Amino acid sequence: MREPIKYVFIWPAFLVVLIVALFPLFYSLIVSFQSMRLVPPVPPRFVGLGNYADLLGQERFRSVVGTTSLIVFCSVTVQYVLGFAIALALHGKVAAERLFRVTFLLPMLMAPIAVAMVARMLFHSTVGPINEFFTLVGLPNLPFLTKASWALGAIITVEVWQWTPFVILMMLAGLQTLPSEVYEAADLENATPWQQFWGITFPMLLPISVAVIFIRVIESFKILDTVFVLTGGGPGISTETLTLFAYQEGFKKFNLGYTSALSFLFLIVIILFGVVYLAVLRPTLEKRS
Amino acid sequence: MARVTLTDVVKKFDEVVVIPELNLEIQDKEFVVLVGPSGCGKTTTLRMIAGLETATSGAIAIGDREVTNLRPGLRNCSMVFQNYALYPHMTVRDNIGYGMKVRGVDRAEIDRQITNAARILGLVEYLDRRPKQLSGGQRQRVAIGRAIVRDPDVFLFDEPLSNLDAKLRIEMRSEIKNLHRRLRNTVVYVTHDQVEAMTMADRVVVMHRGVIEQMADPITLYEQPSNAFVAAFIGAPSMNFLSAKVQAAGDGLAVVLADGTSLPIPAEHTDRYGPAKGRPVTLGLRPEHMAGGAAGPAVFTLTVRVIEPLGPHTLLIGELAGSRMTAQVDAHFPCEPDQTREITVDMSKMHLFDPEGGVWSWARSASRA
Repeated sequence: MREPIKYVFIWPAFLVVLIVALFPLFYSLIVSFQSMRLVPPVPPRFVGLGNYADLLGQERFRSVVGTTSLIVFCSVTVQYVLGFAIALALHGKVAAERLFRVTFLLPMLMAPIAVAMVARMLFHSTVGPINEFFTLVGLPNLPFLTKASWALGAIITVEVWQWTPFVILMMLAGLQTLPSEVYEAADLENATPWQQFWGITFPMLLPISVAVIFIRVIESFKILDTVFVLTGGGPGISTETLTLFAYQEGFKKFNLGYTSALSFLFLIVIILFGVVYLAVLRPTLEKRS
Repeated sequence: MARVTLTDVVKKFDEVVVIPELNLEIQDKEFVVLVGPSGCGKTTTLRMIAGLETATSGAIAIGDREVTNLRPGLRNCSMVFQNYALYPHMTVRDNIGYGMKVRGVDRAEIDRQITNAARILGLVEYLDRRPKQLSGGQRQRVAIGRAIVRDPDVFLFDEPLSNLDAKLRIEMRSEIKNLHRRLRNTVVYVTHDQVEAMTMADRVVVMHRGVIEQMADPITLYEQPSNAFVAAFIGAPSMNFLSAKVQAAGDGLAVVLADGTSLPIPAEHTDRYGPAKGRPVTLGLRPEHMAGGAAGPAVFTLTVRVIEPLGPHTLLIGELAGSRMTAQVDAHFPCEPDQTREITVDMSKMHLFDPEGGVWSWARSASRA
């Protein structure tokens, strides 16, 4: 207690964190152990882990987790590979590089809901320009939004289109920090561009790659608007994601206890993923620091 | 045989001519230092030899191979960069072995070479560390290690010691020189530090604005600079320059300064400087060719402004005939700022330059004649 004055400065900030972040979290944790409905209004009743047990036993929940994971895995993988490749291309000397750089970043600046609306029109089974083009060249129309596998593909495509720019931006920033002498040294060693990529660029950008993938995975798990507008979770529940499921339970059925439990399971899934992801990569990252 | 030859090499960046036309021949096993002030084109020349810059015109050959348009990896040059250019994510071992790995050298051979280089450079205990965990000197040794395992035709050093502190720089200087004596490869070394150039080189190439001002061994460069630029650049502290005239004095000649101070030219040099009689010249005097007090025929009075005791000797910085003048005197020479002191100068070591171009052409032609 050499400098008690420091607590005067810390406490207000701590209180704000307590009220704004921790209280709602704690409150929703309590609600998740209750049976609470708004419509019709039912007084809260403590059910312990009942909501959690219900959820885990539900086939729909497991399907939703699977669908979300599939979308996250596929879209983030493509975003990373494509984003890194485009960043490498933009980092090299290409003509009109500034124009490409700005153009590639535009999708990220649009509201996901608007992107989804546009995509919905593009992929429309009958009046969408993609199917119209197929008709024009004599190809059969494809059920982009009405068949489960195609609908998942459409969602992943939209996610990739919208969020690859984020990967480009981050990887490009990383590439620009790499010292040019290191590549000159590799040139003198007669290392091919491919050897330089795997031997120098990729390992040197690994810390940024880890962060980019982590951010994109967390963000992708929260995917809602794209699915909501594009497919509404259909056909059936084949494209329903965790957040959409939570939305249906919370705002369609007003089953708040159940939704809170779902949100906490969601939080646990993400924390587990984060812990495992970082635990696996930590040894590699620590070696570099 | 790794002779390096640059023939009529010109380098332009867009329309800016960095190297107007350069001709340089570096002999096999020779240690050549390119020295000059910032922007003189020394690093560009080195990078053209390495292939990291392409010559706009002209030809570069290493040994009997014309390499002008060959990519860097095919020239068999090793380069040590100013910022070391080590791969930060690799251990010392991997850094040294990277080149061999990409060339597909057998693992056992790579290990043998790494061990050998580490032994030569005293890096054995650091082989599993990363560059971040090493000191500046150790990093520089790793960079050298990476260069030597290749057994290159030519070693290229681009200001390798400029990021090190003064003490370490002196240590590394002798280490590199020893290494050259041991490996006997051709070395092209770039520095802006004339002391580094003088102490390490078999031959020093002084460059200025992309042009070679003089190429010579260090002693020749110091004793017979071909022009005022080289004379000013080589030597520390720098040579003093004074506007003067050569006039007859008794039987011989004397250099007369603007304030009337007359410094007689020794009799054995009168023939050499005879053609300069009656002409305005620039007199060049090195501080180390002076002594405190009046102890010879050529004496001037220095108004001392600053005194810099360096230990073995002291520098008196002041004014003489309207020009700045530095004199090196005995460490215990009694003097205070703003006092005047008589200084004796050894005129047999003086230099005379044409004041217009700074070129010593008339004196040189006279001495040849």
